[in-house]
This record gives sequence, structure tokens and C-alpha cells, in this order.
Amino acid sequence: MRGRKILLLCAVCMALSGCQGAQKEEEKTSIRIGISLYRGDDTFINNIRSVLEERAKEYERENGIKVTLDIQDAKGSQNTQNNQVERFISLGCDVLCVNLVDRMDASVIIDKAMTAGVPVVFFNRQPVEEDMNRWDQLYYIGVDAKETAVLQGQMVVDLYTDRPEAVDINGDGVVGYVLLEGESSHQDSLIRTEWSIQTLKDGGVPIEKITGGIANWERSQASALMEQWLAAYKNDIELVVSNNDDMALGAIDALERAGAVEVNVVGIDGTTPGLEALENGKMLGTVSANKEVYASAILELAASCAMGQKPPQEYPLTDGAYYWAPQEILVYEDIEENQ
Amino acid sequence: MMGRRSKTALLLYMVFLMVLFLMCSTDLIIREPEKEVYQIAVIIEDIRDDNYGNFKKGMDQAAVELNADVRFITLYEKLDKDQQMELILREQQDGADALIVVPADEEMVVGAASERQVTVPLILLGTGLAGEGVTGTIVTDYKYMGEQAAEQILQRVSPAATVLMFSDPARQSFMSRLFLEGASAALEEGKVRCQTVARDGEQGFAKLVGVLENLPKGEMVILAESQEILTETAGILEDNPHLRDKISGLYGRGSSLSILNYLDREIIGGICIVDEYSVGYFSVLMAAQAFEGSGGQKTRTMDSYYIEKKDLREPAYEKMLYPIE
Repeated sequence: MRGRKILLLCAVCMALSGCQGAQKEEEKTSIRIGISLYRGDDTFINNIRSVLEERAKEYERENGIKVTLDIQDAKGSQNTQNNQVERFISLGCDVLCVNLVDRMDASVIIDKAMTAGVPVVFFNRQPVEEDMNRWDQLYYIGVDAKETAVLQGQMVVDLYTDRPEAVDINGDGVVGYVLLEGESSHQDSLIRTEWSIQTLKDGGVPIEKITGGIANWERSQASALMEQWLAAYKNDIELVVSNNDDMALGAIDALERAGAVEVNVVGIDGTTPGLEALENGKMLGTVSANKEVYASAILELAASCAMGQKPPQEYPLTDGAYYWAPQEILVYEDIEENQ
Repeated sequence: MMGRRSKTALLLYMVFLMVLFLMCSTDLIIREPEKEVYQIAVIIEDIRDDNYGNFKKGMDQAAVELNADVRFITLYEKLDKDQQMELILREQQDGADALIVVPADEEMVVGAASERQVTVPLILLGTGLAGEGVTGTIVTDYKYMGEQAAEQILQRVSPAATVLMFSDPARQSFMSRLFLEGASAALEEGKVRCQTVARDGEQGFAKLVGVLENLPKGEMVILAESQEILTETAGILEDNPHLRDKISGLYGRGSSLSILNYLDREIIGGICIVDEYSVGYFSVLMAAQAFEGSGGQKTRTMDSYYIEKKDLREPAYEKMLYPIE
């Protein structure tokens, strides 16, 4: 009898503490999100950041929940990023959104987040699978690199099928191309390069690689490389395949300086300057992730984690942790038609 | 076999170690003074932080040094004074220890402070207005800044020139208003003709292309009232190189990275700047001092400088324009 009373008392206590917990959750009227960017001067990341800020305000208005975004630039240093994450946690951030500097080195961040019980939404730079599997509160939002590359290759294939002379500028039956690659440590660089070229081959474009190089996603580095290549192979280069828009713009800068504006340049990302180049007819095309959807997915997923809710259904997760943002091809003609 | 004396010595040694451990690793014996984290909210008048890059760097530096938790808040609509008041009251209610505000409407904010609606220390930026509830101000003399820009223009143009003042009357901040007031007064004194060109809603200054193309022959200079307008105009001139031959120069104020790049490429002729990094740093410092009640300066006046491309790499300006975090 006495044992039953004790059990009953325990049950009441547990129920009461449960109610208190629920009450606490109900009372949550604000969330704080710590965002660390690998480099604030990356155009694509900057675009995502802008949309994230807009979406945070919309979320605040729609749900009546105060959203505080703490945005920090890691300036390309993993060590700085680790410190930023530590500070976010000590400031009481409910969730972290991390654009990793070194995708192979997410363990420190994951350790800190797991210890503090703070979920992490990684974006744009994908942690290795072993790291992602360490905890069920780790998510990744990005684009499918293979899809991106195939779309990039496809836009050249389409143009070649339609008007071969627009791609094979010197009419020798072979399209000489140069390749601008992103960081060698970024997962998307290798995949974009491999599948873009593969799609060109599969699509029947008679390509020949003139040369290629790593420009680390940067416009200035790409411009310098392109200048060197133009000095050596000016008459052979007919196509520039770039892993992102910034490097494509760097190539365009060099092409303009050399007066070789007829060379086709294709990029990836659909950044604001990239789209401007497209509008001005300086770039043939780009593959654009839908940045609204991309940033909304980050914000909504982070907010649901912070509120202790299930991930939002409008952004279905693959394997319970990955969301791939939709992408589209944008070519010069599309922009002209839209206008 | 260990003797009794050895056992006692070992025991005492272990107790000693235990005490040492307790002293070092817990606050049972030595209590560490608790470090207070100041909650500071910075509420600006704009919807984006594009023009606050260096300001935020200074702010972050002070936050780390002073152990402050600084929240940077932007508005939903630019210069929405009612929303800014709501945010001021919300942040106060949410436990901010001090507020730093770039007022959308300076009189409204100062009025609210005077009526004791704001009970935490309040630091105002950019405004010379002071009231009873305002704890401190960091003032930039925008009127003088306008005069500085005008004087430089006067030195570079003939009296027959026209200065086109690019303005956005519908969304004009008090800083832009004062800047233009100062500039027009100085230009009028210099007997140079001024003409205001108003921003056209959604189109922005895009119609400028047509305006400039149809300009009568003569010397024309553009003076932009704000950072956004200066950036926008420089972008238009960059995309339309033929228009650059139509004007003798583009001038304005602000030191965002894009403005500095345009200045470096000589699309912008000259700009007026203030040390934004120091404004950010001092604002947090003043807020922390006010919360601690440790006094400090009530008003700080920031100097403004006119610079051109050649000044960009001057050590004094370089430090100001490209601060290292």
C-alpha cells in the first residue's frame, strides 16, 4: 500500500514537472540563431545571407516570434569559426547555422554543439558523412552538385545542337575549352568539373581541353589565370567552363581586356553580379539555385529546431538530414525574353 | 610492508591533494567573481546593414573586450519611426541593459526618452539632439560634411557648372537632409547652380540614363545625398561608360566596401567619411559605461574627412576604412 502511494506521488511529481516543461516551451517567444559564414565576401554566400535576413523578418511577422540573427564572418579560418561557435553557444543561441570553412573539420563544432545540446544546420559546404552521422540534430542544406554540373553542361549542349557555330567559334570542328575550378577541398568542385565535362561529351559536343586551373572561387584569381591562358592560347579558347559565377566573371574581365569577347563563358550560382553579366550578354549562362528556397529552408529548419518542433514538411529531408535546394538554368536568351 | 607512519603520511598527502583540487577546480573555497554580460541592443534606421560594415567591426571588438552581448537589429521598412519605437520598447522589455539607436525620427526617440518610456541607458548616434532621458550621443556634423563636399566641388568646377543633387525625398534620413542642406548653402555661396533630382520610386535612378543622355552641353557634377544613392549612381555610370563623359564628377558620402571600390576605380570622384569603426566601438563603450554608472563622456563628436582615390592608401585613412578585426 505504502509502495503504491510512493509510486503515485512520483507519478504526480513527474506529471507536474512535465507540465512545467510544456509551459516553458509554450512560453518561448523568441529564438536566437547563430550564423557563421566561411567568408563574408563570397558573392553567393552574401546573396544567401541577404535572403536569410529578409526571411527572418518575415518569420517574425508571421509567427509573432522574435528572431535574433547573430551573423559572423569566419574569414576563411576554421579556428575563428570554432571560436565563433563557442561564443554563440555561450550567448545562448538556440540553433547554429554553419557554413563550414573546412568541410573535413566539422568535428570540433559538432562536439561543442552536442555537449550544449544545440542543433546545427550546416549549409553550402557539406560535412563528411561520418560527421553527419554522429548526431540526429545535424542537418545539411545545399544543392545537388551533380545536378548542377549536368545542367551547366546541358546549356552548352543545347546551344551547340541549336547553333554549332556559336560554340565552335573558329569552325575547326573542335570546341577548345578551359576550366576554372573552385577549392580542391570543396566537395562540389570535383563533382561540378567531372559531370559538366561528362555532360558535354555525352551531349555530342566535340570538346578538347586546352588547360585548366584552381582559382579558389575567386574572381581576381580567375582573372589572373585567364590572362595567362589568353597569352598562350588566345586563338584556341572558345569556351570557359567555370565552377562558379565569380570565377566566370574573372574570366570575362580578362577576356574583355584582351578583346576576346566572343568566347562563351558559363558559370554556376546565379549571383547578382553573375545575373548582371547575363543581362549584359557577357556570360552565356549560369545554373542558379533558387536562393529564396535555399535560404528559406535554412531559416525554417533552424527555427523549427530552436522551437523544438519537427522539421518543416515543405522542405523534405533526404535520410532525415539533407535538403537539396532546387536549381534552374539561366541563359542570356531567357533574360532577354523575361525583359 | 608499509609502516603506520608511511600510511599516515600517504593519507595526509592525499588529503592535501584533494584540498588543492577543490581549491583549483571548484568555487567551494575560492569563488571566482561572476563576470556580468551586458545585453546591448543596437537598432538602426535602415532595413539592411550594408552601410554599417566598419561600424559593426568596431561594435564587435568592443563587445568582446567589454563582455557585452550586442544584438544588431534592422527595421522592416526603412525609416519606419513607429516600428523603431516598437523595437526600442520590445528590446527594453526583453531585458536589454542599454540601447544604441540610430533614430529614424530623432525627435520621436528623444521625446520617448524624455517621457521616461525608455528607462535603460540610451545612446543616440548621428544626432545632435539631446534630451532628459538620453544618456549619451555620438554626433557627426552632417551639415559640415555637406559643406566639405561642396567646397571640394567648387575647387574643381567653373562657376558655370551645375550640381545635380541626387536625393530621395520619400525616404530621406535626417543625415541626408543635413548633408544636402550644408552642401546647397555652400554651393549657393559659391554661386554655382544646384538642381535637385529626385529618386523615382521603384525605378530608382535608372531613368538617369535618359536624363543624362539628353543633358544640354555644359559642366555637370553629381552629388549623392546618401550611401545607397551614391552606390546606385556609381553602378549606373559603371554600366554606361558613355555617360561618364557627360559629367565632371560624382561625389557623396559613405565608406562601404562597394563605394571604396568605385572610388578606387575612379567612378566616384570623392567622398566624405567618418571613422565608422570608432563610432561602433565608442557606442558600445558608452553604453557599458552608462550601465555600470561609471560616467564617461556624454557626447562625442566625430570628425569628417574628404578623401579621393589618392588618399585610399594613406596609412591614416587605410586604417579607418579597412579596419582589421
